[in-house]
Amino acid sequence: MDPKWNEDVPIYRQLRDRVVAMILEGVLGDGDALPSVRNVAAEYRLNPLTVLKGYQELVDEGLVEKKRGRGMFVNDGARLQLLKDERRRFIEKEWPQVVATIERLGLDTAELLEQVTQKSDAGDKND
Amino acid sequence: MTSLVTASNVSKRYGDVRAVDNVSFEIEKGRIMGLIGPNGAGKTTLLKAVLGLTDFDGQLSVLGLDPFRQRKQLMQNISFIADVAVLPRWIKVTQLLDFMESTHPNFSRKRAEELLSRTKVRKDAKVRELSKGMVTQLHLSIITAIDAKLLVLDEPTLGLDIIFRKEFYGNLLSDYFDGERTILITTHQVEEIENLLTDIMFINEGRILLDSSMESLPENFVELTTSGEDADKARRLGPIHERDVFGKKVMTFEGVDREHLARLGEAHTPSVADLFVAKVKGAAA
Repeated sequence: MDPKWNEDVPIYRQLRDRVVAMILEGVLGDGDALPSVRNVAAEYRLNPLTVLKGYQELVDEGLVEKKRGRGMFVNDGARLQLLKDERRRFIEKEWPQVVATIERLGLDTAELLEQVTQKSDAGDKND
Repeated sequence: MTSLVTASNVSKRYGDVRAVDNVSFEIEKGRIMGLIGPNGAGKTTLLKAVLGLTDFDGQLSVLGLDPFRQRKQLMQNISFIADVAVLPRWIKVTQLLDFMESTHPNFSRKRAEELLSRTKVRKDAKVRELSKGMVTQLHLSIITAIDAKLLVLDEPTLGLDIIFRKEFYGNLLSDYFDGERTILITTHQVEEIENLLTDIMFINEGRILLDSSMESLPENFVELTTSGEDADKARRLGPIHERDVFGKKVMTFEGVDREHLARLGEAHTPSVADLFVAKVKGAAA
Protein backbone atom coordinates (compact mmCIF):
# COMPACT_ATOMS: atom_id res chain seq x y z
CA MET A 1 0.00 0.00 0.00
CA ASP A 2 2.74 2.42 0.89
CA PRO A 3 5.57 2.96 -1.53
CA LYS A 4 9.07 2.83 -0.10
CA TRP A 5 10.65 6.18 -0.79
CA ASN A 6 14.36 6.40 -1.22
CA GLU A 7 15.46 9.13 1.18
CA ASP A 8 18.23 10.41 -1.05
CA VAL A 9 16.13 11.13 -4.13
CA PRO A 10 13.42 13.82 -3.92
CA ILE A 11 9.95 12.24 -3.91
CA TYR A 12 8.78 14.26 -6.92
CA ARG A 13 11.66 12.72 -8.88
CA GLN A 14 10.70 9.22 -7.76
CA LEU A 15 7.11 9.88 -8.85
CA ARG A 16 8.37 10.97 -12.25
CA ASP A 17 10.44 7.77 -12.52
CA ARG A 18 7.41 5.65 -11.62
CA VAL A 19 5.30 7.20 -14.38
CA VAL A 20 8.17 6.74 -16.84
CA ALA A 21 8.38 3.06 -15.86
CA MET A 22 4.62 2.71 -16.35
CA ILE A 23 4.88 4.23 -19.83
CA LEU A 24 7.83 2.00 -20.76
CA GLU A 25 6.00 -1.09 -19.52
CA GLY A 26 2.95 -0.10 -21.51
CA VAL A 27 0.74 0.25 -18.41
CA LEU A 28 0.09 3.81 -19.55
CA GLY A 29 -0.41 4.08 -23.30
CA ASP A 30 -0.59 7.04 -25.68
CA GLY A 31 -3.46 9.33 -24.75
CA ASP A 32 -4.07 7.67 -21.38
CA ALA A 33 -4.82 9.88 -18.40
CA LEU A 34 -2.39 10.01 -15.49
CA PRO A 35 -3.95 9.45 -12.07
CA SER A 36 -5.17 12.81 -10.77
CA VAL A 37 -2.88 14.83 -8.52
CA ARG A 38 -5.49 14.70 -5.79
CA ASN A 39 -5.74 10.90 -5.95
CA VAL A 40 -2.02 10.35 -5.87
CA ALA A 41 -1.62 12.84 -3.03
CA ALA A 42 -4.37 11.16 -1.01
CA GLU A 43 -3.22 7.63 -1.78
CA TYR A 44 0.38 8.22 -0.77
CA ARG A 45 -0.29 11.04 1.69
CA LEU A 46 1.92 13.44 -0.19
CA ASN A 47 1.65 17.16 -0.50
CA PRO A 48 -0.19 17.88 -3.78
CA LEU A 49 2.60 20.27 -4.75
CA THR A 50 5.07 17.37 -4.66
CA VAL A 51 2.88 15.37 -7.04
CA LEU A 52 2.43 18.39 -9.29
CA LYS A 53 6.18 18.92 -9.42
CA GLY A 54 6.74 15.32 -10.50
CA TYR A 55 4.11 15.69 -13.23
CA GLN A 56 5.60 18.99 -14.32
CA GLU A 57 8.93 17.21 -14.98
CA LEU A 58 7.10 14.90 -17.38
CA VAL A 59 5.47 17.89 -19.08
CA ASP A 60 8.88 19.56 -19.45
CA GLU A 61 10.27 16.38 -21.00
CA GLY A 62 7.43 16.38 -23.53
CA LEU A 63 6.09 13.02 -22.33
CA VAL A 64 2.86 14.29 -20.88
CA GLU A 65 0.46 17.06 -21.76
CA LYS A 66 -1.64 19.14 -19.44
CA LYS A 67 -5.22 19.66 -20.64
CA ARG A 68 -6.95 22.47 -18.83
CA GLY A 69 -9.49 21.28 -16.33
CA ARG A 70 -9.15 17.67 -17.47
CA GLY A 71 -5.80 16.55 -16.13
CA MET A 72 -2.61 15.12 -17.53
CA PHE A 73 -2.38 12.81 -20.54
CA VAL A 74 0.40 10.74 -22.07
CA ASN A 75 1.54 12.28 -25.34
CA ASP A 76 1.45 10.29 -28.56
CA GLY A 77 4.81 8.69 -29.08
CA ALA A 78 5.90 9.06 -25.44
CA ARG A 79 6.86 5.40 -25.19
CA LEU A 80 8.82 5.52 -28.45
CA GLN A 81 10.63 8.63 -27.24
CA LEU A 82 11.49 6.94 -23.95
CA LEU A 83 12.60 3.78 -25.75
CA LYS A 84 14.81 5.89 -28.01
CA ASP A 85 16.36 7.55 -24.97
CA GLU A 86 16.81 4.21 -23.23
CA ARG A 87 18.36 2.63 -26.33
CA ARG A 88 20.76 5.51 -26.77
CA ARG A 89 21.70 5.33 -23.11
CA PHE A 90 22.34 1.59 -23.46
CA ILE A 91 24.50 2.00 -26.57
CA GLU A 92 26.46 4.89 -25.06
CA LYS A 93 26.81 3.83 -21.45
CA GLU A 94 26.20 0.12 -20.97
CA TRP A 95 27.25 -1.43 -24.25
CA PRO A 96 30.92 -0.31 -24.04
CA GLN A 97 31.06 -2.00 -20.63
CA VAL A 98 29.57 -5.19 -22.06
CA VAL A 99 32.09 -5.12 -24.91
CA ALA A 100 34.91 -4.58 -22.44
CA THR A 101 33.74 -7.58 -20.41
CA ILE A 102 33.48 -9.75 -23.53
CA GLU A 103 37.04 -8.82 -24.47
CA ARG A 104 38.39 -9.31 -20.99
CA LEU A 105 36.85 -12.79 -20.71
CA GLY A 106 37.90 -13.68 -24.27
CA LEU A 107 34.38 -14.70 -25.30
CA ASP A 108 33.58 -15.61 -28.90
CA THR A 109 31.24 -12.86 -30.20
CA ALA A 110 29.87 -15.00 -33.05
CA GLU A 111 28.87 -17.69 -30.57
CA LEU A 112 27.25 -15.16 -28.26
CA LEU A 113 25.26 -13.62 -31.08
CA GLU A 114 24.10 -17.06 -32.20
CA GLN A 115 22.78 -17.75 -28.72
CA VAL A 116 20.87 -14.45 -28.68
CA THR A 117 19.32 -15.13 -32.10
CA GLN A 118 18.32 -18.66 -31.12
CA LYS A 119 16.66 -17.36 -27.98
CA SER A 120 14.66 -14.72 -29.78
CA ASP A 121 13.66 -17.28 -32.45
CA ALA A 122 12.39 -19.57 -29.71
CA GLY A 123 10.58 -16.60 -28.19
CA ASP A 124 8.92 -15.85 -31.53
CA LYS A 125 7.64 -19.40 -31.81
CA ASN A 126 6.12 -19.19 -28.37
CA ASP A 127 4.22 -16.04 -29.24
CA MET B 1 2.43 35.46 -0.64
CA THR B 2 -0.04 36.45 1.98
CA SER B 3 0.49 35.53 5.53
CA LEU B 4 -2.54 34.03 7.23
CA VAL B 5 -1.10 33.80 10.71
CA THR B 6 1.52 36.17 12.05
CA ALA B 7 2.88 35.79 15.56
CA SER B 8 5.44 38.11 17.07
CA ASN B 9 6.89 37.58 20.51
CA VAL B 10 3.95 35.57 21.73
CA SER B 11 4.27 34.26 25.30
CA LYS B 12 1.96 32.52 27.68
CA ARG B 13 2.70 31.80 31.32
CA TYR B 14 0.90 29.52 33.69
CA GLY B 15 2.22 30.69 37.04
CA ASP B 16 5.98 30.22 36.85
CA VAL B 17 5.81 27.97 33.81
CA ARG B 18 6.41 29.56 30.43
CA ALA B 19 4.23 27.34 28.26
CA VAL B 20 4.99 29.48 25.23
CA ASP B 21 8.13 31.57 25.40
CA ASN B 22 8.56 34.52 23.05
CA VAL B 23 7.54 32.81 19.85
CA SER B 24 7.45 34.43 16.40
CA PHE B 25 6.40 32.81 13.13
CA GLU B 26 4.27 33.18 10.03
CA ILE B 27 2.02 30.80 8.16
CA GLU B 28 1.27 31.61 4.55
CA LYS B 29 -1.91 30.89 2.68
CA GLY B 30 -2.18 27.48 1.00
CA ARG B 31 0.44 25.84 3.19
CA ILE B 32 0.27 22.72 5.32
CA MET B 33 2.25 23.48 8.44
CA GLY B 34 3.28 20.78 10.89
CA LEU B 35 3.91 21.81 14.47
CA ILE B 36 6.03 19.08 15.99
CA GLY B 37 6.91 18.71 19.64
CA PRO B 38 6.81 16.31 22.57
CA ASN B 39 3.98 16.35 25.08
CA GLY B 40 4.12 19.49 27.17
CA ALA B 41 6.14 21.41 24.59
CA GLY B 42 3.55 24.17 24.33
CA LYS B 43 1.84 23.01 21.11
CA THR B 44 -1.69 23.09 22.46
CA THR B 45 -1.19 26.38 24.27
CA LEU B 46 0.07 27.97 21.08
CA LEU B 47 -2.91 26.62 19.15
CA LYS B 48 -5.26 27.93 21.81
CA ALA B 49 -3.74 31.37 21.37
CA VAL B 50 -4.16 31.14 17.58
CA LEU B 51 -7.80 30.11 18.04
CA GLY B 52 -8.52 32.88 20.53
CA LEU B 53 -9.17 30.42 23.35
CA THR B 54 -6.60 31.96 25.67
CA ASP B 55 -5.09 35.37 26.26
CA PHE B 56 -1.37 35.85 25.78
CA ASP B 57 1.41 38.44 25.68
CA GLY B 58 2.74 39.69 22.36
CA GLN B 59 1.10 40.18 18.96
CA LEU B 60 -0.88 37.64 17.06
CA SER B 61 -2.86 38.17 13.89
CA VAL B 62 -4.99 35.37 12.42
CA LEU B 63 -6.78 36.08 9.12
CA GLY B 64 -6.07 39.72 9.93
CA LEU B 65 -7.95 39.51 13.22
CA ASP B 66 -6.95 39.61 16.86
CA PRO B 67 -7.99 36.10 17.88
CA PHE B 68 -8.73 36.83 21.53
CA ARG B 69 -10.71 40.01 20.98
CA GLN B 70 -12.37 39.09 17.67
CA ARG B 71 -12.95 35.41 18.28
CA LYS B 72 -16.52 35.40 17.04
CA GLN B 73 -15.56 36.77 13.63
CA LEU B 74 -12.55 34.48 13.50
CA MET B 75 -14.59 31.36 14.20
CA GLN B 76 -16.59 31.84 10.99
CA ASN B 77 -13.50 31.22 8.92
CA ILE B 78 -11.62 28.73 10.97
CA SER B 79 -12.28 25.15 11.96
CA PHE B 80 -10.66 23.04 14.58
CA ILE B 81 -10.35 19.52 15.95
CA ALA B 82 -8.93 19.42 19.46
CA ASP B 83 -6.80 16.57 20.77
CA VAL B 84 -9.54 16.01 23.31
CA ALA B 85 -12.13 15.98 20.55
CA VAL B 86 -15.30 15.42 22.50
CA LEU B 87 -18.76 15.18 21.08
CA PRO B 88 -21.65 14.75 23.50
CA ARG B 89 -22.22 11.01 23.85
CA TRP B 90 -26.02 11.24 23.81
CA ILE B 91 -26.28 13.25 20.61
CA LYS B 92 -27.49 11.69 17.36
CA VAL B 93 -25.58 12.31 14.16
CA THR B 94 -28.62 14.06 12.63
CA GLN B 95 -28.95 16.29 15.71
CA LEU B 96 -25.30 17.22 15.40
CA LEU B 97 -25.84 18.22 11.78
CA ASP B 98 -28.92 20.27 12.82
CA PHE B 99 -26.85 22.02 15.45
CA MET B 100 -24.00 22.80 13.05
CA GLU B 101 -26.42 24.07 10.42
CA SER B 102 -28.10 26.42 12.88
CA THR B 103 -24.92 27.78 14.48
CA HIS B 104 -22.29 27.93 11.75
CA PRO B 105 -22.87 30.17 8.71
CA ASN B 106 -20.25 28.40 6.56
CA PHE B 107 -21.35 24.85 7.30
CA SER B 108 -22.67 22.79 4.38
CA ARG B 109 -25.00 20.04 5.53
CA LYS B 110 -25.07 18.54 2.06
CA ARG B 111 -21.31 18.25 2.04
CA ALA B 112 -21.23 16.67 5.51
CA GLU B 113 -23.87 14.11 4.51
CA GLU B 114 -21.97 13.28 1.35
CA LEU B 115 -18.77 12.74 3.33
CA LEU B 116 -20.54 10.67 5.95
CA SER B 117 -22.16 8.46 3.32
CA ARG B 118 -18.69 7.14 2.50
CA THR B 119 -18.16 5.98 6.08
CA LYS B 120 -19.91 3.42 8.23
CA VAL B 121 -21.35 6.16 10.43
CA ARG B 122 -25.15 5.84 10.28
CA LYS B 123 -27.09 9.06 10.47
CA ASP B 124 -29.48 7.81 13.15
CA ALA B 125 -26.65 6.55 15.39
CA LYS B 126 -25.78 8.19 18.68
CA VAL B 127 -22.20 9.21 19.34
CA ARG B 128 -21.90 6.68 22.17
CA GLU B 129 -22.66 3.85 19.73
CA LEU B 130 -19.71 4.74 17.52
CA SER B 131 -16.16 3.40 17.74
CA LYS B 132 -13.32 5.83 18.35
CA GLY B 133 -12.32 5.69 14.70
CA MET B 134 -15.89 6.40 13.62
CA VAL B 135 -16.14 9.37 15.98
CA THR B 136 -13.02 10.78 14.32
CA GLN B 137 -14.58 10.21 10.89
CA LEU B 138 -17.70 12.01 12.05
CA HIS B 139 -15.62 14.84 13.42
CA LEU B 140 -13.61 15.18 10.22
CA SER B 141 -16.75 15.09 8.06
CA ILE B 142 -18.29 17.92 10.06
CA ILE B 143 -15.15 19.98 10.23
CA THR B 144 -14.31 19.65 6.54
CA ALA B 145 -17.88 20.56 5.59
CA ILE B 146 -17.12 24.00 6.98
CA ASP B 147 -15.82 26.31 4.32
CA ALA B 148 -12.93 27.61 6.39
CA LYS B 149 -9.76 29.44 5.45
CA LEU B 150 -7.75 27.81 8.21
CA LEU B 151 -8.11 24.30 9.59
CA VAL B 152 -6.38 23.53 12.86
CA LEU B 153 -5.86 19.90 13.83
CA ASP B 154 -4.43 19.10 17.24
CA GLU B 155 -3.19 15.48 17.31
CA PRO B 156 -6.12 14.47 15.10
CA THR B 157 -5.23 10.79 14.89
CA LEU B 158 -4.25 10.18 18.50
CA GLY B 159 -5.43 6.77 19.67
CA LEU B 160 -6.53 5.61 16.22
CA ASP B 161 -5.27 2.46 14.56
CA ILE B 162 -3.07 2.68 11.50
CA ILE B 163 -5.85 2.11 8.96
CA PHE B 164 -7.96 4.97 10.30
CA ARG B 165 -4.89 7.18 10.55
CA LYS B 166 -3.96 6.69 6.90
CA GLU B 167 -7.55 7.13 5.82
CA PHE B 168 -7.81 10.33 7.82
CA TYR B 169 -4.91 12.01 6.02
CA GLY B 170 -5.97 10.54 2.68
CA ASN B 171 -9.46 12.02 3.10
CA LEU B 172 -8.03 15.33 4.23
CA LEU B 173 -6.06 15.59 0.99
CA SER B 174 -8.76 14.33 -1.34
CA ASP B 175 -11.82 16.02 0.18
CA TYR B 176 -10.52 19.16 1.79
CA PHE B 177 -7.18 20.54 0.79
CA ASP B 178 -7.34 22.46 -2.45
CA GLY B 179 -4.17 24.55 -2.38
CA GLU B 180 -6.16 27.62 -1.26
CA ARG B 181 -6.98 26.49 2.22
CA THR B 182 -4.40 26.38 4.95
CA ILE B 183 -3.88 23.62 7.48
CA LEU B 184 -2.01 23.66 10.77
CA ILE B 185 -1.42 20.20 12.26
CA THR B 186 0.25 19.20 15.48
CA THR B 187 1.43 15.69 16.08
CA HIS B 188 4.18 13.75 17.69
CA GLN B 189 3.91 11.01 15.07
CA VAL B 190 5.81 12.98 12.51
CA GLU B 191 6.58 10.05 10.16
CA GLU B 192 3.00 9.78 9.05
CA ILE B 193 2.65 13.38 7.97
CA GLU B 194 6.10 14.53 6.93
CA ASN B 195 5.50 14.03 3.20
CA LEU B 196 2.29 15.98 3.17
CA LEU B 197 3.66 19.08 4.85
CA THR B 198 4.94 22.14 3.06
CA ASP B 199 6.39 23.65 6.22
CA ILE B 200 7.55 22.46 9.58
CA MET B 201 8.10 23.96 13.02
CA PHE B 202 9.73 22.21 15.97
CA ILE B 203 8.69 23.37 19.41
CA ASN B 204 10.16 22.31 22.73
CA GLU B 205 9.82 23.85 26.18
CA GLY B 206 7.78 26.68 24.72
CA ARG B 207 10.41 27.70 22.18
CA ILE B 208 10.65 27.24 18.44
CA LEU B 209 13.73 25.24 17.53
CA LEU B 210 13.14 25.09 13.80
CA ASP B 211 10.92 26.94 11.36
CA SER B 212 11.52 25.88 7.79
CA SER B 213 9.93 24.90 4.53
CA MET B 214 10.22 21.17 3.86
CA GLU B 215 11.88 21.97 0.57
CA SER B 216 14.83 23.72 2.16
CA LEU B 217 15.59 21.02 4.78
CA PRO B 218 18.00 19.11 2.48
CA GLU B 219 19.91 22.34 1.79
CA ASN B 220 20.41 23.10 5.46
CA PHE B 221 20.71 19.75 7.17
CA VAL B 222 23.00 16.83 6.51
CA GLU B 223 23.39 13.60 8.43
CA LEU B 224 26.86 12.12 8.11
CA THR B 225 27.79 8.53 8.91
CA THR B 226 31.49 8.28 9.50
CA SER B 227 34.21 6.75 11.68
CA GLY B 228 37.88 6.99 12.68
CA GLU B 229 39.94 9.97 11.55
CA ASP B 230 37.17 11.29 9.31
CA ALA B 231 34.91 11.39 12.37
CA ASP B 232 37.45 13.62 14.16
CA LYS B 233 37.64 15.90 11.13
CA ALA B 234 33.86 16.04 10.88
CA ARG B 235 33.54 16.81 14.58
CA ARG B 236 35.66 19.94 14.08
CA LEU B 237 33.00 21.23 11.68
CA GLY B 238 30.62 21.51 14.63
CA PRO B 239 27.79 18.97 14.34
CA ILE B 240 24.64 19.92 16.27
CA HIS B 241 24.25 16.32 17.41
CA GLU B 242 26.20 13.07 17.42
CA ARG B 243 25.14 9.50 18.10
CA ASP B 244 26.62 6.01 17.83
CA VAL B 245 25.11 3.49 15.45
CA PHE B 246 26.77 0.07 15.02
CA GLY B 247 30.20 1.41 15.95
CA LYS B 248 29.90 4.33 13.54
CA LYS B 249 29.35 7.97 14.36
CA VAL B 250 26.24 9.60 13.00
CA MET B 251 26.47 13.40 13.10
CA THR B 252 23.87 15.97 12.18
CA PHE B 253 25.06 19.23 10.66
CA GLU B 254 23.26 22.50 10.11
CA GLY B 255 24.44 24.90 7.44
CA VAL B 256 27.59 22.94 6.52
CA ASP B 257 28.30 22.29 2.84
CA ARG B 258 27.07 18.83 1.82
CA GLU B 259 29.81 18.16 -0.72
CA HIS B 260 32.44 18.99 1.83
CA LEU B 261 30.85 16.55 4.29
CA ALA B 262 30.45 13.85 1.65
CA ARG B 263 34.25 13.56 1.52
CA LEU B 264 34.23 12.47 5.18
CA GLY B 265 31.65 9.71 4.97
CA GLU B 266 28.13 8.93 3.82
CA ALA B 267 26.02 12.08 3.63
CA HIS B 268 22.21 11.89 3.76
CA THR B 269 19.31 14.16 4.49
CA PRO B 270 18.12 13.30 8.00
CA SER B 271 14.57 12.08 8.50
CA VAL B 272 12.36 14.62 10.24
CA ALA B 273 12.21 12.39 13.33
CA ASP B 274 16.01 12.19 13.57
CA LEU B 275 16.32 15.88 12.91
CA PHE B 276 13.88 16.59 15.70
CA VAL B 277 15.97 14.58 18.18
CA ALA B 278 19.13 16.33 16.99
CA LYS B 279 17.59 19.78 17.43
CA VAL B 280 16.10 19.04 20.85
CA LYS B 281 19.27 17.44 22.22
CA GLY B 282 21.43 20.02 20.48
CA ALA B 283 19.48 22.83 22.14
CA ALA B 284 19.83 21.18 25.54
CA ALA B 285 23.62 20.71 25.19
